[in-house]
Amino acid sequence: MVDKKIEISQVVEELESGKDFNFLKNLFFQFKKNKLAYYSYKFLIVLIIIAVVSPFIATDQPLYCKYKGVNMFPAFSLSNSCEIKTEAGTIELIQYDIADWKRLEASTIIFAPVAYSANKSDYDNADYVSPNGKQLFIDKAGKTVKMPLRFRHWLGTSKAGEDVLSGLINGTRISLSIGILSMVIASFLGIVLGAMAGYYGDRKLETTRGIFWSMLFGLILAYYYGFYVRSFSISDAFSTSSLTVLFQLIVSLCIFCFVLVLFFQFGKLLGRMPFFNKRVFVPVDSIISRLIEILISMPLLILIISISAIAKEKSMINLMVIIGLTTWTGIARLTRAEFLRISNLEYIQAAKSMGFNEFRIIFKHALPNGIAPAMVAIAFGVASAILIESALSFLGIGVPADTVTWGSLLSAGREQFSAWWLVLFPGLAIFLTVTVYNLLGEGLRDALDPKQNR
Amino acid sequence: MIQYIVKRILIFIPTLLVITLLGFVISVNAPGDPVERMVTSSQNSGEVGSQSKSQLEQKKFWRNKLGLDLPVFYFSLTSVSYPDTLYKIYDKSEKEALARFIHMYGNWKEIEMYSNSLNRFCISQLEFVADSNLIKQYDENAVLEILNQLRFDALSLKTSFDPSVIKAKNKEIIGLLSSYSFLSPLKSNFEKVIQNYALMQQNASAWKNYIPRIAFYGFKNQYHRWLFGDGGEFSKGLLFHGDFGTSYVTRQPISDVIYSKIGWSLFFSMLSVFLAYLISIPIGVKSGANRGSRFDKISSLVLFLLYSMPSFWLATLLIMTFANTDVFAWFPASGVKPALGYPDGASFLQMIKISFPYIVLPAICYTYSSFAFLSRTMRVSIIESVNQDYIRTARAKGLTENKVIWKHSLRNALLPIITVFANIFPAAIGGSVIIETIFTIPGMGSETVFAIQNNNYPMIIAVLTITGFLTLLGYLISDILYAIVDPRISYK
Repeated sequence: MVDKKIEISQVVEELESGKDFNFLKNLFFQFKKNKLAYYSYKFLIVLIIIAVVSPFIATDQPLYCKYKGVNMFPAFSLSNSCEIKTEAGTIELIQYDIADWKRLEASTIIFAPVAYSANKSDYDNADYVSPNGKQLFIDKAGKTVKMPLRFRHWLGTSKAGEDVLSGLINGTRISLSIGILSMVIASFLGIVLGAMAGYYGDRKLETTRGIFWSMLFGLILAYYYGFYVRSFSISDAFSTSSLTVLFQLIVSLCIFCFVLVLFFQFGKLLGRMPFFNKRVFVPVDSIISRLIEILISMPLLILIISISAIAKEKSMINLMVIIGLTTWTGIARLTRAEFLRISNLEYIQAAKSMGFNEFRIIFKHALPNGIAPAMVAIAFGVASAILIESALSFLGIGVPADTVTWGSLLSAGREQFSAWWLVLFPGLAIFLTVTVYNLLGEGLRDALDPKQNR
Repeated sequence: MIQYIVKRILIFIPTLLVITLLGFVISVNAPGDPVERMVTSSQNSGEVGSQSKSQLEQKKFWRNKLGLDLPVFYFSLTSVSYPDTLYKIYDKSEKEALARFIHMYGNWKEIEMYSNSLNRFCISQLEFVADSNLIKQYDENAVLEILNQLRFDALSLKTSFDPSVIKAKNKEIIGLLSSYSFLSPLKSNFEKVIQNYALMQQNASAWKNYIPRIAFYGFKNQYHRWLFGDGGEFSKGLLFHGDFGTSYVTRQPISDVIYSKIGWSLFFSMLSVFLAYLISIPIGVKSGANRGSRFDKISSLVLFLLYSMPSFWLATLLIMTFANTDVFAWFPASGVKPALGYPDGASFLQMIKISFPYIVLPAICYTYSSFAFLSRTMRVSIIESVNQDYIRTARAKGLTENKVIWKHSLRNALLPIITVFANIFPAAIGGSVIIETIFTIPGMGSETVFAIQNNNYPMIIAVLTITGFLTLLGYLISDILYAIVDPRISYK
């Protein structure tokens, strides 16, 4: 109680001292009051840390190894092999990914906390070894002994002998990155489109007839030169690497924007003619609202499954983009409603009368005040993106077959119900993560609700 | 009001058209050739080059029947270098190879010449019968081997576009042609291919790719046919007869498939909504009316956990525990009825009774998430309504607490959960993909997954279209219901 009083008095002091009232600071202060949400926020940070360092805490390649006088850091190394000169003068080649590290005669060796990789099999413990069951280990002498505690499969193994704990840690990275990155795409689209729809409405974006028609025509041509002509370059990029895909897409987008700018200038020129100089309204709100209506009238999971079925390459990046492109509607609707309200407030009128440009008004003045409901939707959206990803991997549609995720582990558990650890732990991981995001969303909503701030 | 409804329905139409178009775009870009699957799966011989004449004819028949030999839409955005007739090439990889040539060289005339000469070469080597005098020195199997090799090379040449690959293939074929004298009749045809290829590369005009053009195809296109039918020959069209076309997998009309599958999905979604309302309203009201009580706290926590529970996990856990011979074998793990079906002449009630153990577990999975959502919504709206003035008035009148809550407060708090009611029918068509797959329920959800796995795109377009329509209808109905329940809302 005493703590709270001090904190409140701090905020009051800050307000009275005339310093800027920091929206985010206040939000966090309100958010902290909800203990459950606050703990889930902390739990989330732990999850993110696990996701980031997962390649180094769950791998069969040791973090450090000293073998025949040579120092190696296989887990951190970018190259995949190391040549070692033996005393006899021959060269011994150690390939990091296939070396049998656990039976290597190394003078010092430090393994990762979980000394197994997610998609590599431990053949000695294949065929569903239980976490509390008997696990075998072949030691350096080639004798089969009881599993040393250091190398135990703490959460059991799958049919092929893959370590479940390692799969879970690897799955954390995949689930969180899909959840967060797809929401980055969705919130960018949702906030920008929602803000435009709400701020401009149908009768506020005024332009000349010349610019309107020229831009409409320019959009078609921009698509043509940006994407249609380059379609083969883009589809070829998918079979090389995700970095080239990104590069090609950026090139396409640059061409797209360049053509649009060109046609904007052309439209301005056209505007010199009296016919093209007539003012027209762009029905921004109608267009965006129809777009939202189309997307929400299709069942999300079926839409995502059918789009990912036509993707040539099945990759997690594809899935991320597809989820992002289909789930922005909720964020857009909330932002739109908020902007409808804001665009009529006095301070926006004031900003307009001071001659600020529209871009600045929308993103600098209106957005910070209109973003709050979207933040709640984003938190819930991450939860649902994670659910979609795990459901798809569970069904085995649209995700690469060799990637170990929570959903794929869970579906492996369906084949053998006696392997309860394959059902329980991945399911628990999905459940906990989704719960954490939902709690976070609830906490944010409560913190943002002025009625609750007593 | 009627004016409002008519206006809303008019807005539906373009939205629905865009949805069908989206389905079309997905189906056109889908990998794999549906006709190839249909024909080869029935005759079990998909080896390269071994396509019999009857198979080719059958393929042509099905292409024609399904309208796949038509352009996709009324018009398309292409470049000057593109011919209007590229859609006539059936084979997808062959089409892609030609499109790549156009992209690289931009001279359709030369490309067509090359492609024609290559086709001629392929046909001539398919029909080729070696002179019996010349092959005397070879073993019969060796000759067959050589001919097969040639056939394979020629067919793969048709689908390749990379200059280095083509060069290697050409070299291989020339090697074959020149080292075996009995193949010499084919030589002249192949020389023409090489000539035309060189000509194509020489006369490249790739700049033509950068000049856009809109190609018009008229009414003879797949989309028009899908909407209006082809005059009743094969399909009647969606717009006037509700015909969704033919399934690529079973060759049945899509409408028949949907009709046979929708029953269970509809049953489960109705049952789950009914159960969800039955349980969630009392729980929501009780916890909302006694906010902060122990019941409220516990039920809120449980509901929140249920709300975050992934349905596939719960379903798997339920099967693992209650349909597992090692733990409790109380319920069957999959299906909706015994493998032998119902006994003859069973009444509806008897059928329900027989199916009951099959229904329990899926029904739980279907219900729990909407039940959690509804209870939470109910709780919030009860909390909001008990603070209103008219509740205070009701209490002041001396009504019992039960009457205040259950009669006065509940009626006003019901408004937000009307929306959920509008979602039943679209959910029935889409089905619950995951639950139906896990429990192998023969409903729309598992049918949709099956359709996606088998490239049965008419089915997917049908599902997207019907759900789109029903969702829009659902929104309209819930808006109208709002106006009926709440006199303060009017649409004027």
